[in-house]
Amino acid sequence: MVDKYLLPHRGEIIKVTQETGSNLNIKTFRIRLLDEEVRKKFKFLPGQFVELTVFGLGEAPFGFASSPTEEDYFDISIKETGLVTEAIHNMREGDQIGVRGPYGNNFPFEEVKGKNLVFLAGGIGLAPLRSLINYVLDDKNRDQYGRVQMLLAFRSPEDMLYKYDFSSWENSPNTMVKYTIDEECEGWVHCVGYPHELLNEELDLNQPDTVYFTCGPPIMIRFITEELKNSGIHPADIITTLEMKMSCGLGKCGRCNIGRYYVCKDGPVFDLKQLEQMPAEF
Amino acid sequence: MLKVIGKNELGKLLEKLNDKFRIIAPVIRQYGKKERVEYHQVEDFDEIFLDRQPDTPPKKFFLPQNERLGEEKSGEQVFETGDRKTLIFGVRSCDLKAIDILKPVFLDNDFTDTYFEKRLENTVMFGLGCSKRQENCFCDSLGIDPLDAENIPVYMYDDGERLWFDVRAGELEEFFADLPDGNSEELERLKKDWQSGFEDTKIGIEVPIPFPELVAFNAPFWKEVAANCLGCGVCTYYCPTCFCFGFFWEKREEEIDKWRTWDSCMFPLFTKHGSGHNPRETQDQRTRQRIMHKFSYHPHNFEGVPACSACGRCISQCPVNIDLRVILKTAEKHLKDEEGVKSGG
Repeated sequence: MVDKYLLPHRGEIIKVTQETGSNLNIKTFRIRLLDEEVRKKFKFLPGQFVELTVFGLGEAPFGFASSPTEEDYFDISIKETGLVTEAIHNMREGDQIGVRGPYGNNFPFEEVKGKNLVFLAGGIGLAPLRSLINYVLDDKNRDQYGRVQMLLAFRSPEDMLYKYDFSSWENSPNTMVKYTIDEECEGWVHCVGYPHELLNEELDLNQPDTVYFTCGPPIMIRFITEELKNSGIHPADIITTLEMKMSCGLGKCGRCNIGRYYVCKDGPVFDLKQLEQMPAEF
Repeated sequence: MLKVIGKNELGKLLEKLNDKFRIIAPVIRQYGKKERVEYHQVEDFDEIFLDRQPDTPPKKFFLPQNERLGEEKSGEQVFETGDRKTLIFGVRSCDLKAIDILKPVFLDNDFTDTYFEKRLENTVMFGLGCSKRQENCFCDSLGIDPLDAENIPVYMYDDGERLWFDVRAGELEEFFADLPDGNSEELERLKKDWQSGFEDTKIGIEVPIPFPELVAFNAPFWKEVAANCLGCGVCTYYCPTCFCFGFFWEKREEEIDKWRTWDSCMFPLFTKHGSGHNPRETQDQRTRQRIMHKFSYHPHNFEGVPACSACGRCISQCPVNIDLRVILKTAEKHLKDEEGVKSGG
């Protein structure tokens, strides 16, 4: 943990990737910490997040979108929604950005070793899952996990992100990737429909020893978790990551408080069993 | 050691202490026609006013309302602690307890808040017993003793004519050595009198703390108790234990300062996401959050201690007369009924 407490380290944007079409403006920023000492100590895990600062304007929390197996830098995918994200979207390679973190707990990538994994993502909800997917599918780690299935949902082909990853994911051993969009469109050869409607049809939900990771819009998470539970999956095997307006990252400022938990410190990763015991306020 | 002086002799004692400490004490400040009792640094000790609970708590000396954290680009932190230690004079048991409530939040092992820690190390407080119940307080209902506190170097009593000093810290004895000794039996008699005044006005809140999380959260009474709430946040700004905060930035020439500022769970923007989604969209949800945080979530995380010291300021200051005691009584009734249903009674 490197943490100057409340004041950020300086990072440099070393690559900007336009992910989606103009209708949903998502870019991925590759960031490298400037100070070598800080960079060496900066160790994050899939599921954690950082606070990014636009100097003088503000800061906002973002989940890591790259795997910690890629050292030296990290990727953050950002959808343009407000002042801070707009300012980051206007940044170019070589621009500097503040970095505070990493914060929060992580996906249980150690605990699920030896198990089959299913990833269910909607839109930019794929970003935090990509960190875990790329960790699991990394050559060094792949044989420690069982079968991997993915159902990746997007509004339209225009809204897909990480297209450049798809072939390596599909070609990874014992891995199946399915794609779906909301409505039929010309030239689309994959599934059509909301992901919760396709779960039983497109995925094998009957295999034992399987853990489900889902992230996406709140409504999608709700339908998917309901569907999985109806299919007899145990709530402790359904894992998601919550989004709140985390600000301090240290479990103090109060914004992300839900029940006894501070999402920035006790989360953002929770299993459905925990969520069912929490006040429904997310 | 127990010492007692006439109140008119207080100045002499504080002169001596002033060499070593920056003295903060309650004084009356005039705002237009409104008089308020607030803690300020004092040089003229005749200004000190101990006759009632100050309108604002001394929280700001540990967690300032606006606090410069440092320069953002260089990462240089700023600590403004001053040349002398700070002495906060005449802090009542509720406000002492409030600082105790803040300690484990800001001194936790994972992230020690250096700003808070340095201020705490640099400060001593002299307690002050309450000889009568203040406007809306109910400290005795939450197990706080209005006439004593733990871990305080000096605890004082004001009997109207004289000030009593129960000096417990050896390193402060030098300032009191010359003063006349107090008669401990006499003080005990006075305390007994004052105590009986508290007994006569006791509200006796017996709400279970921590509130059971889901039962209390899903209780039907929140809409009703919060119906009049304006969401003005006054309760949180006067609260000696509320600690929610936010950041803001200020540009100077080339530098950018990062500041921390009090924020409030009563404000809709507090939790609103960039996407527009707001997990606490309505005012009753936000009122529920404030009360649940104080009486359920916080005590769950911090050894059963609620994030409330029952000072009653939120009651005195609320522009629409929302009364925390009424909310607690409502919760008490509801939770007891629920418990009764569960146990089949």
